[in-house]
Amino acid sequence: MSLTTLENYFLPGSGGEVVQLLQEYGERAMILAGGSFVHGLAARNLLPGVDVFIDIQKLGLADIVAGSGGLEIGAMARLADLASVSEIREDAAWGALSDALRCPPVQIMNTATVGGNIAAACPYFDLPTAFLAIGASVRTEGSSGSREIDLEDFFTGLFENSLAQEEFLTGVALSRPEPGSASAFVKLETNANDLAIVNAAVHMTVDESGACQAARVALGGGVNEIPLRSAAAEKLLTGQVITDELPAKVGQAVQADISPMADHRASAEYRSAMASVLTERALRSAIARMTGGN
Amino acid sequence: MKQLISIEINGEVHELAVAPQDSLLHVLREELGLIGTKKGCDTGGCGCCTVQIDGRAVYSCMTYAMSVQGKPVVTIEGITENGQLDPLQQAFIDAGAVQCGYCTCGTIMAARELLATVPDPDESQIRHAIAGNLCRCTGYQKIVDAIKLAAANSA
Ligand SMILES: Cc1cc2nc3c(=O)[nH]c(=O)nc-3n(C[C@H](O)[C@H](O)[C@H](O)COP(=O)(O)OP(=O)(O)OC[C@H]3O[C@@H](n4cnc5c(N)ncnc54)[C@H](O)[C@@H]3O)c2cc1C
Ligand code: FES
Ligand code: FES
Repeated sequence: MSLTTLENYFLPGSGGEVVQLLQEYGERAMILAGGSFVHGLAARNLLPGVDVFIDIQKLGLADIVAGSGGLEIGAMARLADLASVSEIREDAAWGALSDALRCPPVQIMNTATVGGNIAAACPYFDLPTAFLAIGASVRTEGSSGSREIDLEDFFTGLFENSLAQEEFLTGVALSRPEPGSASAFVKLETNANDLAIVNAAVHMTVDESGACQAARVALGGGVNEIPLRSAAAEKLLTGQVITDELPAKVGQAVQADISPMADHRASAEYRSAMASVLTERALRSAIARMTGGN
Repeated sequence: MKQLISIEINGEVHELAVAPQDSLLHVLREELGLIGTKKGCDTGGCGCCTVQIDGRAVYSCMTYAMSVQGKPVVTIEGITENGQLDPLQQAFIDAGAVQCGYCTCGTIMAARELLATVPDPDESQIRHAIAGNLCRCTGYQKIVDAIKLAAANSA
């Protein structure tokens, strides 16, 4: 069932055509990738004024290329495609991403695209949190050419991103992590098919003395209107020798940076408490990976 | 405005006029009478509408019919060959994995992708593969048994 009635459904063959259609139809048009988020909005009548879909599957953009500089992921790569990349599965530095990719059911893994998971700017999705911890930028194409935007600058509000009206995502770039890095992601959910109540990811690089040289701590799942990094937690972690007491302190530190939402999944107080717990768990898991466990 | 498309379902190409917002599930059930694919939640939450597109299990309720042009679709009706049940269908009968049966077709279609890629799955791989398929009757154990049995019978 779809409550949204469409006037037209386009399958353009090039980026130029996509931009043209976006220009022509303005607010009436919506980009369609896998459709797994768009369908939910259409079924709940949450697409007021939209009556044109621009399905971008014919653009290709589905390749995932690993090079010396890092990983280039096409916006139309499916989550299942990303999960099957051996470097992501094997490199501890990208562990947060393989953790996050274990969450959605197979049917969603086969349908949802990486670009759609990011462009939706939904705070309850998992990949944005993992990508923020690992460090990523998005690539776009629009009427004034192409841009690269740091993922941190991409999310601007609840379901809002920094794409211009006539601009779309073409891919995501991850830079190759420093040697001695590891990352992990954890999610709290009500059941196997649900979105996150809270999720957290930690990426860290440790030097030979066992001190944390660099750290990135990210949270999502309604700890704010957008997924975010916790500067306070990162500051506390950086430069420290890893001890058994440290993860709990880092978990507490995220409180300075979050302002959780309340909704049908959880109260703001519960999210707040869980944000610390999940950050601590993600950090412990990253440390375990660093020291050789998986 | 309806648009004329052609889609391949169970090896047969159909020419159809569809509204741009029509789901593949709607077209299968309402236009083609292929009612083995069930409609449960219609929003990606239950799995009983699962079909295979390009060999991959997807929810047909959230797949736009317009988007499957040029991609082979297989439904539960398409897995029986020359009157011979698919090993999964037979195993679901033999293991007693069907109660009301509403979830069965979708679960078989999800399990089919698993067995095509992992011929000898362990229990956790099986449970992961059907995590997107809800069953309100069986408690899942017999479904898991059936998938193991199908794997063993196909070896
Ligand atoms: C049952 C279920 C379970 C789920 N479980 C999880 C989970 O565990 N973890 C998780 O992270 N997510 C989960 N999800 C969410 C799912 O991952 C997202 O719906 C999906 O990633 C969105 O991608 P899509 O390709 O389907 O996007 P679409 O629905 O096609 O698009 C999503 C949004 O992004 C825009 N868009 C898409 N591509 C582009 C582009 N290239 N450029 C510009 N804008 C674009 C669209 O206009 C739309 O606003 C689940 C969803 C369902 C239905
Ligand atoms: S009817 Fe498609 S998932 Fe429920
Ligand atoms: S047998 Fe009834 S829902 Fe599964």
